[in-house]
Amino acid sequence: MDTGPIWRAMLRNKAGFVLIALQIAVTLTIMVNAFGIIQERAGKIDRDSGLDEANTFALASVLYADYEREQRMALIDEDLDLIRRLPGVVNAVASNSFPLRQGGWSMGLQLEPGNLGPESVSTAIYFVDEHGAETFDVEVVDGRNFTAGEITWSDPEDNTWPAYGLITGALADELWPDDPGPYVGRTVFINVTDPVNVVGVIDKLQAPWESWSGVEKSMLVPQRRPSEFVRYIVRTEAGMRDELMPEVESLLADSNEDRIIRDVTTMDETRKLAYVGDAALIKILSFVVLLLTVITALGIVGLASFNVSRRTRQIGIRRALGASRPAIVRYFMVENSIVSAIGLAIGAALAIGLNIVMVEAFSLEPLAWYVIPAGMIALWLVGQAAVAGPARRASRIPPALATRQT
Amino acid sequence: MFRYYAKLGLLSIRANPALSALMVAAIAIGIGACMTIVTVRHVMADNPIEHKNERLFHVQLDNWNPNDPYDEPNEPPEQVTYLDATALLEAGRAQRQVISFKSSRVIQPDGDEARPFQEVLRATSADFFAMFDVPFRYGSGWDAAADRGEERVAVLSSAMNDRLYGGEDSTGRLLMMNNEPFRILGVLDDWHPVPTFYDLNNNPFQGPEQIYAPFSTAVAGEWGSTGNNSCWKPPEEGGYEGYLASECVWIQMWVELPDESGKAAYAQFLDDYVTEQKQLGRFPRELNNRLSTPGEWMIDREVVDETVGVLLALSVLFLLVCLLNTIGLLLAKVIRRSNDISLRRALGANRAELFRQYIVEAGMIGVAGGLAGIGMTWLGLRGIENVFAGYDFIEHLVTMDWQMVGLAVVLAIVSALGAALYPTWRACRVSPATTLRIQ
Amino acid sequence: MLIMKDVSKIYRTDTVETHALRGFSLIVDEGEFVSVTGPSGSGKTTFLNIAGLLEELTGGTYELDGRDVSKLSDKERSRVRNEKIGFIFQSFNLIPELDVYDNVDVPLRYRGFDAAERKRRIMSCLERVGLASRTAHFPAQLSGGQQQRVAIARALAGEPRFLLADEPTGNLDTHMADSVLDLLAEINEGGTTIIMVTHELTLADRARRNLFVRDGEIHDGPPELHFAAAASA
Repeated sequence: MDTGPIWRAMLRNKAGFVLIALQIAVTLTIMVNAFGIIQERAGKIDRDSGLDEANTFALASVLYADYEREQRMALIDEDLDLIRRLPGVVNAVASNSFPLRQGGWSMGLQLEPGNLGPESVSTAIYFVDEHGAETFDVEVVDGRNFTAGEITWSDPEDNTWPAYGLITGALADELWPDDPGPYVGRTVFINVTDPVNVVGVIDKLQAPWESWSGVEKSMLVPQRRPSEFVRYIVRTEAGMRDELMPEVESLLADSNEDRIIRDVTTMDETRKLAYVGDAALIKILSFVVLLLTVITALGIVGLASFNVSRRTRQIGIRRALGASRPAIVRYFMVENSIVSAIGLAIGAALAIGLNIVMVEAFSLEPLAWYVIPAGMIALWLVGQAAVAGPARRASRIPPALATRQT
Repeated sequence: MFRYYAKLGLLSIRANPALSALMVAAIAIGIGACMTIVTVRHVMADNPIEHKNERLFHVQLDNWNPNDPYDEPNEPPEQVTYLDATALLEAGRAQRQVISFKSSRVIQPDGDEARPFQEVLRATSADFFAMFDVPFRYGSGWDAAADRGEERVAVLSSAMNDRLYGGEDSTGRLLMMNNEPFRILGVLDDWHPVPTFYDLNNNPFQGPEQIYAPFSTAVAGEWGSTGNNSCWKPPEEGGYEGYLASECVWIQMWVELPDESGKAAYAQFLDDYVTEQKQLGRFPRELNNRLSTPGEWMIDREVVDETVGVLLALSVLFLLVCLLNTIGLLLAKVIRRSNDISLRRALGANRAELFRQYIVEAGMIGVAGGLAGIGMTWLGLRGIENVFAGYDFIEHLVTMDWQMVGLAVVLAIVSALGAALYPTWRACRVSPATTLRIQ
Repeated sequence: MLIMKDVSKIYRTDTVETHALRGFSLIVDEGEFVSVTGPSGSGKTTFLNIAGLLEELTGGTYELDGRDVSKLSDKERSRVRNEKIGFIFQSFNLIPELDVYDNVDVPLRYRGFDAAERKRRIMSCLERVGLASRTAHFPAQLSGGQQQRVAIARALAGEPRFLLADEPTGNLDTHMADSVLDLLAEINEGGTTIIMVTHELTLADRARRNLFVRDGEIHDGPPELHFAAAASA
């Protein structure tokens, strides 16, 4: 179909078309940028924490009676013994934190002893015993796990850091960026002067803070801490978690009256809570994009309907002069394509512009190359769908209208 | 004449119900989206102590690592050490000074059937209540003597008093925490500062603590901090004593000063204090002390999440789309009614009168859109609450005040009038002569 | 009195320049009933637009009621239209959403009369056209003749000195047309100057003076003469 006459007719009623084109442009701008954010957040949520999340839960024991250090140590041993002996429990460990928990302990590591400097590397710290690796479902890809003999109890009078560590590959890569493995046997320094010997490298264990840029960096430390507040992480056999969780809770609560058991939570719940902000943002933005598309479609329907009613007579004349129904439909479809093309071109430029601004102002990722073309095609289709109704109505205008005087 | 225009506007709205409804809906949805985000942002950025903003100052001292600032480019730590907090409290050079930290205890309620529970509390020096204008329902806070005497006294929030004592006047009763009795001195009236400006670490939207006890008592009992603890080097000695003597920061410090000159004098005092400490081998970095008002401190700590900024930008664009939609619909209406406009012009209406007529009509659409927009905002906030289910503080962030309701209406009217400008201008340009040609 | 001296009107588009009126001079005295006839495209409507101050003139001068109105601002022209000129259109041009009362009220609103004065004028004009009992009717509920009577009441409400009628009976059947013309004649006898544009010679006969427009130029005299002249030319 020759677009010339359509284009010239549009020029006679610029304002309406300019408004729709602008609307399409801004819609595309919002749509692709929102989609970029959705994609980024969805990617974040999809990350693996390293744990056997479906079969892991955690709980905390808070002592409120005045126990001596030795009593606290004995209680932890008792507790772990009780839990580990339960049928269906794969393993359990007492630790200060676990991935996705949003609170934990971090330390700076460096290759030479001395005060921390700009070159030191931060890592999350998990204090565990030799059961930590299995409970956290980490695989020692190089080197070995801690031996029972390497595990110590922390001493309030002695701040010396344990001399062994299991580190994630991501942490190793950042410590020695120019000197790739094997990392086993190397030494790093913590707490100014305390050496840590890397006994093994583990595949994956996230830090407790999902929003930290260094979330993949963590270190297992062979130490147990006899404090009033202890977290137990329990890994069960597949499908046993929901059954064992209340069992472990009451087991611990009943075994000692000088404490309370709290924060009983599955990893699934922990994950949900950790990412509630990201999940919410995805929902909000999806809804915004949907609503926006509907509004823009309504705008297109409105303008097209208005044009149909304004051109009723003209359409009648065209029909009288031999235009077929499909030709009338085509006229409106082509007209809409022209408006869409202009709007989408402006929108693509605006979208790139807004993305550059957002990347700089809000440290977002730049858009993937295909997002804008995909958005353009989607909006073009929406426009065609929106205009189809009014166009069909136009095609049903009877040719006899041409001879009627209004 | 306004009533005449209003009558014409109503007639016109009634004559095009679908078009008018679409316009009202477009404005309402746009306003709803925008105001939802603006409201959340408004609550997050609210300064609950605005009325004392010019007199309260958060204290920062730079005791950090000589090789590496606490935060780039050269930010001092957000909190202070025990050494400095207690020294500055002791010096007493401000009108009031508060040092405090977040801790937790196991509360053992009276009665056999009540189970003990762990509760976050605030360990603070005595001036906290007077400095932050905390209202009391029963009794009062403690005094400096209680601080010095490391007395086991406590203040409860009204909610905690309801929970433990059914809301009755509990002053004088003994509250068991970790098997130690604390005498209740006072019960707070309703007090819900959001954000908790006095401690912006961790989540500042969870609301204030429910139990308050003297700082000195907490330290004597070796209570740990459950807030942020940061050290740039390990304590030289082990144990709680070693931690108190260390360069680790974990205490929030605020001072109240009478005016600008008081602030200058206190800043000088801090510099002198740090200079003196340098002689003892502490404070290896250059002088970098800060005094920030609550408002400044909230901005400094970026209390408003940047995601809110992204959403705000997108929601403004969203409103723009809705307005473009409205402009298009108004324009269609004007073009459809050019007969009427032309006729009125022929009958003697000048451009200004027509302009007023159409602006009044647009204003009416704007008011309707604004009122519907308040409803949309309410829905939007319920939506936000819904998708954030699980965050126990979310209900604090999704409440509309009258200021926001007013803003919604004003924004709607301004938007509608703005959207009406071009179509109205077009209406005014319709020639009176066309009325003769239409036959 | 209406005096046009050497009035011209040129419509310009990008490519075409149309001389709708050229050297158009005319004097209409107080109280006259003038008909303007002419073939389609001759400039009748342009003349009426100019006379009614709906359009500006390109050249010449136009004096209405002793005042030069050729170079007034839009606001002043609106005022003159409102106070001195009443319009009657072929298609009545009533506002469909407004009832009869409110339709007649339209020009009075722009005049700034108070409610009592407007009511007095509206009722007296509607009585004059015989529709005082139909104030609450909407245009769609009236016959064509009745609609045109409402339009005439509207034109009269402002007590104008001039009544400009554009094919006032064009959309009416003969019977209704006659009664509308009777009404116009009656109004004219009351002292209002009437200028009526029509292409029907029988209607033009009802006027006391006939003008003939062709190719944008005016000719005074009985229309038959001009048609004859045109035919022989």
